[in-house]
Amino acid sequence: MRVLLVEDDRTLADSIARHLRAEQFVVDLARNGEDAQHHGETETLDAVVLDLGLPKIDGVSVLRAWRAAGRAFPVLILTARDGWSDKVDGFKAGADDYLVKPFRVEELVMRLRAMVRRAAGHASPRILCGPLSFDSQLGTFELDGLPLRLTALEWRVLSCLALRVGHVVERADLFERVYQGDADVESNSVEVILARLRRKLCHPLIETVRGRGYRLVAELP
Amino acid sequence: MKLLPQSLRGRLVATAALFIVLALVATGIAVRFALYRFVHGQIDQRLDGQLMTIEAALEAQPDGSVALTRNVDAPPFDNPRTGWFWLARAGTQTWHARGLQLAEIRLDLLRAEGSDRPRPLGGMGPGGRPVFMRARNLDVGGRDVLLIAGAPLEAQNGPLRDALFPLATALAVLGAGLILATFVQVRTGLSPLVELQGMLAEVRAGRLARLPVEQPAEVRPLVGEMNSLLDENAVNLERARRHVANLAHGLKTPLAALTIALTQAGRDPDRSLARLAVAMDRQIRHHLTRARTAALGSAARISLPLAPRIADHTAAFAKIYADKTIQCHMSIAPEINVACDPQDLDEMVGNLLDNAFKWADSAILLRAGVVDRGIELAVEDNGPGVPAERMPDVLRPGQRLDESVSGDGFGLAIVQELAELYGGGLTLAPSSLGGLGATLTLPSAMAGASRVGSQ
Repeated sequence: MRVLLVEDDRTLADSIARHLRAEQFVVDLARNGEDAQHHGETETLDAVVLDLGLPKIDGVSVLRAWRAAGRAFPVLILTARDGWSDKVDGFKAGADDYLVKPFRVEELVMRLRAMVRRAAGHASPRILCGPLSFDSQLGTFELDGLPLRLTALEWRVLSCLALRVGHVVERADLFERVYQGDADVESNSVEVILARLRRKLCHPLIETVRGRGYRLVAELP
Repeated sequence: MKLLPQSLRGRLVATAALFIVLALVATGIAVRFALYRFVHGQIDQRLDGQLMTIEAALEAQPDGSVALTRNVDAPPFDNPRTGWFWLARAGTQTWHARGLQLAEIRLDLLRAEGSDRPRPLGGMGPGGRPVFMRARNLDVGGRDVLLIAGAPLEAQNGPLRDALFPLATALAVLGAGLILATFVQVRTGLSPLVELQGMLAEVRAGRLARLPVEQPAEVRPLVGEMNSLLDENAVNLERARRHVANLAHGLKTPLAALTIALTQAGRDPDRSLARLAVAMDRQIRHHLTRARTAALGSAARISLPLAPRIADHTAAFAKIYADKTIQCHMSIAPEINVACDPQDLDEMVGNLLDNAFKWADSAILLRAGVVDRGIELAVEDNGPGVPAERMPDVLRPGQRLDESVSGDGFGLAIVQELAELYGGGLTLAPSSLGGLGATLTLPSAMAGASRVGSQ
């Protein structure tokens, strides 16, 4: 899951980014409103963590600009202001959730996962695809009732497909959502990871839709 | 100026009335004096005429005596009972009006040597009544003759009374009319001030944002100054809030970084530092909320439609509590307006709804209505509710009935504090839905409605 973290405080931003990456999120950082707005309008993102007090352009304006440009990714507002006026303004501008500083990182991770899952159209945290089940809240996979052990990149690819179960995920899209800028792309190309995943899943759950991308099937044929 | 009344209107009317009465009294005195002179002049002329008639009738006789050759008893000198009389004396000779009792006549200052010009003389006339008299000394054939003609006081007082009574009545009516006119004028003149007071009360109650500038020329600068004051107040509030927001950002961002840093393994083994950070956050949050509160700085209240404001909140809470399926029924008439600062209203509604959404099992009921004391907003949920004996604890700052659910325990206490600053209040009672029912009372901004907190 690719997340844009917009936070001007370097210490806090680095600390949040480190924790999110440890939880298998792909994290992009923006330190001011202008960069954030540009990044959000051009990149493929699963979610945004947006601080409201930003240099150059404030958070609410950035959010409005994204929504005006038709960007629908879920946005979690991170704010020091815990007045309800600020929160309601944030929601009116198109936010999906908020967190008041200071907060626990576990809480942020939980909310981000819930937000991404809801944005993908799943009301319940548990997503079922035949013998495979994905607990989107805890971030765990089970195959035939047993825990499935996955590498970081495998987890990212499979969770991405699981959230969009039954729908085709384009190859480029998948690439964007899975790779952190510094990852060793060559040895871990999407095709290589998919091949490994197919072996681990045992069942033919991942389909290749020629010329378009990949799909995790909801039920075994 | 202790003598003057305290009210401006009273002062204006009192001073005007005083000067009107003084002017009219002075006019009355002057007119009476002129009339007196006129009437008196008329009487003197008549008496002098009689003296001339007598003079013409007196003739020196060859024997050296003086004789009255003609009857000079023309009216009104023909009847001494009326008070009009005449007499002439030359040595031992005396002539007088027919029927005059000479013994009744007393002459003051009868000087032996008089002038031959008529002169006034005091004394008593017929019947012993005081009279005006004119006297003249004549030389008739070498003998000194004293002529006297008299008129009753009534000859002067009668016409004077006849003229002065209607005049005094007219002056009194004029005075009353002028005082009434002053009263009306002062009332009309000061009415913009009375209206201004009413409009200021409307501004305070939140039914008007600013004072209307269409005012009489004298009041316009005052209204301008008042509006500037209102604007300045709003700007100051905005500035103070921005300052608080910056302070919040400046304190909480490092606190957030600190909190996250403490979660790293080994840094805070007994979690004592994390507890300190939580305590710091609670303090900051509590005091910043209070600092943000507009009512503390007596901010201008504005008229806020309640329904759209609450709809914004429920839309936000539907997202925040997206994983709970909660039916939120809202029944708030669109015309209901409260007199409140928008941020304060947000704070109260936000905390109430947050509490309701947090605890509700599946349903929330929102109702608003007009009551005697203002506007009542009831928020009910079908959650577990609060036992009656623990209700007071819910409103105590920092008290949390259930430590397992996130929250700082300030929510409802802040709502109550804010509502009371607006002269309203917060009451808790079990809801018919089974959970907690919170009723918030706020001042109304609807025309004609009675209001709370307008002192």
